[in-house]
Amino acid sequence: MSVDQIAVTLLLVEDSAADVYLVREALQAEGLRFRLEVAEDGEVASRILDRVEAEIDPPPHLALLDLNVPRKGGIQVLERMRRIPRCQRVPVIVISSSDSPVDRERALAAGAAEYFHKSSSLNEFMRLGRLVRALSGCFNSEPGS
Amino acid sequence: MNERELTTEELHDRLVAAEDTIRAIHLGEVDAVVVEGPGGPHVYTLHGADHLYRVLLEQMQEGTVSLDDEGLILYANPKFLAILGMSASSAIGSYFRRYVAPADLSAFDSLIDTAARHAHISGEVNLRSHDGTPIPVRLSVTRVDCSELQCVSLLVSDLREQIRNQAIVKEEQLSRLILDQAGEAIVVIDQEGTILRRSESARKLVGASVMLDRFDRVFPLTVSGVPLDAADILFRVRRRESIRGIEASMSHLDGRTLALLVSAGPLWNGEKELLGCVITLTDITELRRARDELVRQAQELARSNSDLRQFAYSASHDLREPLRQLAVFSELIQKRFGTALGKEGGDLIQHAVDGAHRMEKLLQDLLAYIQAADAPQEEPAQTDANEVVRKVLASFEVEASRMDAQIHYGPLPVLGVHEIHLVQLFQNLIGNALKYRAEGAPEIRIDAEPEEGLWKLSVEDNGIGIGPDYQKQIFGLFQRLHGGGKYSGSGIGLAICQKIVQRYGCKIWVESEPGRGSKFYFTLPGGNTR
Repeated sequence: MSVDQIAVTLLLVEDSAADVYLVREALQAEGLRFRLEVAEDGEVASRILDRVEAEIDPPPHLALLDLNVPRKGGIQVLERMRRIPRCQRVPVIVISSSDSPVDRERALAAGAAEYFHKSSSLNEFMRLGRLVRALSGCFNSEPGS
Repeated sequence: MNERELTTEELHDRLVAAEDTIRAIHLGEVDAVVVEGPGGPHVYTLHGADHLYRVLLEQMQEGTVSLDDEGLILYANPKFLAILGMSASSAIGSYFRRYVAPADLSAFDSLIDTAARHAHISGEVNLRSHDGTPIPVRLSVTRVDCSELQCVSLLVSDLREQIRNQAIVKEEQLSRLILDQAGEAIVVIDQEGTILRRSESARKLVGASVMLDRFDRVFPLTVSGVPLDAADILFRVRRRESIRGIEASMSHLDGRTLALLVSAGPLWNGEKELLGCVITLTDITELRRARDELVRQAQELARSNSDLRQFAYSASHDLREPLRQLAVFSELIQKRFGTALGKEGGDLIQHAVDGAHRMEKLLQDLLAYIQAADAPQEEPAQTDANEVVRKVLASFEVEASRMDAQIHYGPLPVLGVHEIHLVQLFQNLIGNALKYRAEGAPEIRIDAEPEEGLWKLSVEDNGIGIGPDYQKQIFGLFQRLHGGGKYSGSGIGLAICQKIVQRYGCKIWVESEPGRGSKFYFTLPGGNTR
């Protein structure tokens, strides 16, 4: 299955509208067809995951979790996902403006597939789209099918 | 028997009795003779009268000597012989002057002369004993005219005892003075806990004389709430336990609580008998208050420092976020609307992007500076400086080869520092050496040598150098010697370096001359050589 053939569902947990815009830019620049479900804080993300756990909604193909979102942080959302059997294999990219190795290791230890540093360079930021494409091999065929 | 015969016989008896008496007197068997006289019997003592005076002289506690007019000793009593430590046989018949200290001979002669003229005189001279020790004595000289015999009697008082007593009194006064001058309260107690002596400070401490008072009543000491009384102290000193600098509290009569340092030592009489002990009380109330205040201030300072660090950390962290967006969106505008903006519009946007990037770098460095100031949580690791320099040089590889830089480093030591700190040090110093290069290709040399138990590392370059006025200033925060045009930077790099070496109690400095390169030195502790 190719990501170019189907629209993939992405969960983006991000409180900054500007960064949501940039994530969209990066995904579009990569030519991906996607549906972006945005949660502006950890609580909203939790409610989305509740519906996934209750099998009301399918799990996302991939999740982009900002490390520092209000209420529940990205790591907490990640841990919650790993407790939901349907979400256990969903690839997660933790995104953050922090380039601290400590934050990177924390995210990877919690089960993130990648840690993405939100760069102040546009070109660097656009790499996020390529990263999502690279992980598309791991996308579960269940959602959106 | 007729009357005549009777008288003859009676006379004969009387003669025999008289002869017996005379013989007895000759033999020294008679102490006294009773003679009938007109007013009743008279008692005449012969030897007995002389004997009493002789006993008096012999047992007298002053020395007496009689000399003839030549100065020869006719008689010397045992006390005198004892003073000089000699026997009667060697003294009698010898010249008295022999026993006078040579320095006092003229004084002695003058005493004798004066006595000859004025009958009596006294003065102090030194005699000398058979072993040459000077013996201070007081001589009372009296001329005695005894029928045709001219003689001199000397009364010799040994002054040594008196001098000894004076010395004891002096010593006593001295120790009293010392005791009173002592800054600490010194108290001497007997084995019953009664105060026998106390220094002036002890009196001031309690505001009363306290002599012969109970120690426990006057000094109610407690250590962590438990009483420390005289019996305790005596028990411990008797067991030869050391009581040194125990911190105790004492409720003063005026209601204050004093903080005292208590020390005590035993007073042994010989080996076995404990007479009592000396207790020293140092009033550290003020000292303790000052110390507590210092601790409180230090805690406050640490808290305020930590707050400030936290603030600076959050601020620089949170400030980076909008800056990043400013930079990225400026670029996005440039990219998407570049054609519509034209060259001028593009340049203006570029300024905004550059400004945002500079500010971001500044905040990043500030963050690094704040983190360098943090106290290390764990023990410093063993860090191989060769390894660190190799890594840092790899990060400069592109830049260095573009500049055709020659970088050498000698064998470097293993250091007892965190790797991240050494990386930051070399990154800043090598980075500066490349950045502030002169016209030609940069040449950089990194070395290390042991110095005073530490390692002294150096990074030497052939760059533009630093004037003497700025060689200290460059280690300050935000200190820059150049405008952003040619040499960009935040002015934090060397401040970070200084902060890092200071964390290890070490230092960093530079030797440089403008146009002749710079040599940065820094010291760091060596690694564990176990």
